Amino acid sequence: MQIRKTPSWELPDSAVTPEADYLRRREFLRAFGLGLAATVLLPSALRAATAGFPDSLNPAFRLDGVKLTPYELVTSYNNFYEWGLAKEDPKVFANRGWKTEPWTIEIGGLCNRPGKYDVNDLVKIIGGIEQRNYRHRCVEAWSMVVPWDGFPLAKLVALCEPRAEAKYLQFTTFFDPAVCPGQRSHEFAWPYTEGVTLAEANNELAFLATGIYGKPLLNQNGAPIRLVVPWKYGFKGAKSLAKIDFVSDQPKTLWNEMAPDEYGFYANVNPEVDHPRWSQKTERVIGGGFFSGKQPTLMFNGYEKEVAALYAGIDLRKNF
Amino acid sequence: MSLLVRVVAHKLFALSVIVAVGLWFLVVPAFTGNLGANPLEKLLHQSGEIAIWTLFSVLTLTPLRVLFPHSRFVNALNRHRRMIGVSACVYGLLHFSFHILYEGGWDGLVESFTKPFIWFGFGGLIILVILASTSNQWSIRMLGGKNWKRLHRLAYVAAALLIYHQAIAGKGHWYIARWLLFSLLTLELARIVKTLLLKGRSNARVPVGS
Repeated sequence: MQIRKTPSWELPDSAVTPEADYLRRREFLRAFGLGLAATVLLPSALRAATAGFPDSLNPAFRLDGVKLTPYELVTSYNNFYEWGLAKEDPKVFANRGWKTEPWTIEIGGLCNRPGKYDVNDLVKIIGGIEQRNYRHRCVEAWSMVVPWDGFPLAKLVALCEPRAEAKYLQFTTFFDPAVCPGQRSHEFAWPYTEGVTLAEANNELAFLATGIYGKPLLNQNGAPIRLVVPWKYGFKGAKSLAKIDFVSDQPKTLWNEMAPDEYGFYANVNPEVDHPRWSQKTERVIGGGFFSGKQPTLMFNGYEKEVAALYAGIDLRKNF
Repeated sequence: MSLLVRVVAHKLFALSVIVAVGLWFLVVPAFTGNLGANPLEKLLHQSGEIAIWTLFSVLTLTPLRVLFPHSRFVNALNRHRRMIGVSACVYGLLHFSFHILYEGGWDGLVESFTKPFIWFGFGGLIILVILASTSNQWSIRMLGGKNWKRLHRLAYVAAALLIYHQAIAGKGHWYIARWLLFSLLTLELARIVKTLLLKGRSNARVPVGS
């Protein structure tokens, strides 16, 4: 499917993190091992879940021919409304004393093996992490390509043994208004909630990320663990997960509750179904430069082969 | 106090403030590499914000003058209504230019006009262009004071269109736009109440609005 003409929007090679720097992540991570002294000196942002690093790229998800978005851009352009409405806010405000290590995630609801896990322990129980390059398409019509580190959501589902009645997973982000001023506002129905069907959760692409570019997630990216569903709009990827529940009915999700005509439960990337206020046919590539224009958006964000079967017989215009 | 009023009343002061806002939010970040990961979007949003807050500022001036007719400060600010109004239009045009660039081509631009969201913004801008191009003595003479005034009441229509445009521009933007809307509504309401109260008193001199 990669027949490419080098379109005008393509990133120049200069915008890509040099492979040498990228491969030196082991050095970076070794520095992590320096112990308490380093831990005290490093800003709190760098203390997310560290288990499993260094990991290696899963070759099945190399995404050949697509340029990765530079690390600096992935970590400075974030929609994380708990920490401010502007894209550059989370990088500042999520790093003012918010501790994402240690971190407990609770798995519950309709499953035989519910439990509370320290995120590092969970990574070990799952059997480590791997890296995957995924396209990331925001509902606001911009896109990135991100090398995530983490593990398939299906592995967690298997670990928890969902009961027959379980049809959906509900994801709940942390809720700590004492530390997070944004969550004291009643304008949003905090905590942030999202959901996917059990079938979607078991798709091989559904991923729980604990890192980016071989480094533990920074707070602004949803440390220490977040959902990544690359064929859906970015807002489906709930950050800083406190809780995952197996449920029988379609769970409520924050954006869907706030504006049901704009943000559907499925939120699959679909160039044919516009947002009421803007077209979804094209997207602006982050890092593309001033006069780069936009590139065409792909059905299911380019993952049609992998996920289209999940929606066989479903009207995607109605169930957007 | 009187020095402050004299400074505020000076044309150069108003011009400096208006230009400084643009320099600070658009030019300085562009030249210091502080526009972030999506620089064009940043310029698009910042210029739009400046335009709507500038329009907001000019619309507060008339009600403030009615409410505080003896405040020298308010009267000093009122001397700059034309300049502030015209600059709202200039920033609006800049905002639209960034929109054209952001869409990156004719197809994208045409596509963007399939959305009411864009038409609200564009409609508001057209009004601002009409008002700015008639903001001169010659136009007032040609139209006659009464007609000119009527025409320039369209500023309120522009404000309504543009505040709506701003409110729906992004997820959660209503929480910014409502400050514009509620403050303007409050001021206008207070102005109307005061005008009516003064009219009620037969011997009172009625300050003429707008």
